[in-house]
Amino acid sequence: MSASPTATGGPVPPPRPAVPPDLPPAEVDAAGWPAGVPVAEPAEPLAVDAEPGRVRWDPAERRARASQSFWTAVVGVPAIFSVLRLGVEAGGELQTTLLLVANVGPVNLLAGFLTTAARLLSTGLVAVFALGAVLAVSADRLPPGTRRRPLFARWADITPAWVVLASFLLALLTWPLLYLPLLLPAFVAAFQLRPERLHERTLPRLLLIVALLAGYGWLLLPTLRDAWTQGEALVLALLVVPPLLAVFVAGPLPGMVIRPLASLTEVAVLSMLVWAALPVISTPVLPLTVTTVGAENGPTEDVRGHVVTTDDVNMVILQERGGVRYVPVDLVRAQVLCPSEEELPRHRLRVHDFHIEDSLLEGMGRRVRPVHRIDAACRAPG
Amino acid sequence: MNNSFHSRLRAVATTLAVALTLTLAAAAGCDSRKEPELPSVQEKLRETHIYGQSKLRIGVATNEPLMGDLRNGQHVGFDVEIGRYVAASLGYEGDQRLEFVSVATEDRIPSLQGGMVDLVVSSFSITEERKKLVSFAGPYFVTTQEVMVTSRLKDKIRTIEDLRDPAYKVCTSGGSTTEAELEKRQVKALVVKDVGDCVAGMREGRYDAVSSDETILAGFLASFPKEFEIVDMPFGTSELLGIGVPIGDPALRDLVAFFLQKSYEQGRNGQASPWQTAYNRTLGPWLRAEKRQPQPLDVPKLVDFDDKAPSK
Repeated sequence: MSASPTATGGPVPPPRPAVPPDLPPAEVDAAGWPAGVPVAEPAEPLAVDAEPGRVRWDPAERRARASQSFWTAVVGVPAIFSVLRLGVEAGGELQTTLLLVANVGPVNLLAGFLTTAARLLSTGLVAVFALGAVLAVSADRLPPGTRRRPLFARWADITPAWVVLASFLLALLTWPLLYLPLLLPAFVAAFQLRPERLHERTLPRLLLIVALLAGYGWLLLPTLRDAWTQGEALVLALLVVPPLLAVFVAGPLPGMVIRPLASLTEVAVLSMLVWAALPVISTPVLPLTVTTVGAENGPTEDVRGHVVTTDDVNMVILQERGGVRYVPVDLVRAQVLCPSEEELPRHRLRVHDFHIEDSLLEGMGRRVRPVHRIDAACRAPG
Repeated sequence: MNNSFHSRLRAVATTLAVALTLTLAAAAGCDSRKEPELPSVQEKLRETHIYGQSKLRIGVATNEPLMGDLRNGQHVGFDVEIGRYVAASLGYEGDQRLEFVSVATEDRIPSLQGGMVDLVVSSFSITEERKKLVSFAGPYFVTTQEVMVTSRLKDKIRTIEDLRDPAYKVCTSGGSTTEAELEKRQVKALVVKDVGDCVAGMREGRYDAVSSDETILAGFLASFPKEFEIVDMPFGTSELLGIGVPIGDPALRDLVAFFLQKSYEQGRNGQASPWQTAYNRTLGPWLRAEKRQPQPLDVPKLVDFDDKAPSK
């Protein structure tokens, strides 16, 4: 897919005389393609050695449509999510949602969304591109006219290589280190990098692969040892298996697998996105703070919540357990930023002092500001 | 023929690789949404009896200079500083939320049992006998038993043998490990409520020597450097000071041990640990030999928000 020309003005294949008999007429009408139009050849220069398949309409038209839907999804989904999140953040209260809408700027909202959803976004893109490339290369091998190209394959066809590369880069920076090895087979699949690309002769190729795997093993050896002593089987599998899979993952699949794989993965990716989107929707937009409120020399109270806005008179706090508090500014004695319980680590493993649940970005950030102090007020019940 | 077999094998390998990658990805996805298995500090905190309490009460001594003392109405000393650190780690910081309660040496166990205090940080030695009545987190300090004599007797009382001489009146505090140790060595001691009473009695001439922990004696020596002298005697027992916790609250004990361990690790990594700061501000200048924080025992493995921070 990466090597395919992406411009819509590419050479249009010569016309063919027949229309496939199973073609639903509604689709043809929708595309605005007159009946009895010749069938175009596939626009896959990659598949030079494959039998030419049949497509239903002009590839340029198809690309334009697919590209449109792709970009609509990429831009539209974050926008809708951002607004949905405000409603969840407000605890489902209409007036509170309106208060948030009035005080949270669109730029803040989008930036807040991107910081929490970049991981999900890159996961979705990487999954689509890797699966798309596998399905595309397999579909090219099929006898002509058997079936439509799978959806992901078509998406992968029309995506420029730099978008794919950018998605992988985003994933590299935002995925937890624990899951990064999975990016390796995904990358190899997305670009169909066969081991033959390393060296044309078998022995040097094998040596190269062994050397690369050994280097990887050496890098992770202390972590693997710790994971073994802690009995973390899944962590071991996630760190060890993917690089081995990367050696075999490129290449066409047998014809009988393609159809079920295509439908299964489409459903799986969709449900994964929905499933993973739920926590993203419920991740707060505003930072969690504890504000100590009380008159001078009087008793104090800790208000745990998200500061919506502060003006000359009041500080508006959306409380963690619900409800909005307007605290007079004069009564604010102290305020501290607190971590939320979702940030608690789930494993006790490190890769060269980088926690395995940190992304590369987070890990680098922790090196810039290594000291992290949890304020006493954050421990108090909400 | 061979070529077709090869390509078929290749296709099977690819299928397997794709399937395995998808399985692993699914497993990773499920794992990332699972509740963490490791117990966290916050979870433990919810199990303790102090959770939701507006104030934390810590029992301290008020008459052991350098360890626990009352100066101008303020609690000061090494034990007080350690107590402050533990309290702040548990979420209790500032006078509004932290209360120091004066507890005499002999009242340390009853006050924990009776719920008068939530913790006791008061030169509390960890012993097997006491472990049946209260829980201990620590040790946070290792000290030895010493004897302090009035300056005029510093050449006469040099050994444990000298202490057995009925001519000298030896004083110690009741309910302390020192009392038991002296008894074991057949030294007849006059038992009073606190070491402070012994020192007051010595200044009035009622006693000649006082035996107690090195830390407590160093405190009194700091207060009256000209009147007393510490004599190095080979009692041979080391006292492990711990933080007393009600026996019915293992979660609180675990948390206190966890925070002591955190300070210990900070100190070991060459950072300024809360323990080291407390030591330097109080005991440090007065002890003859430099001390370091001992490693706490029975520390549970808990996860906390700062676990991802770089260790160096």
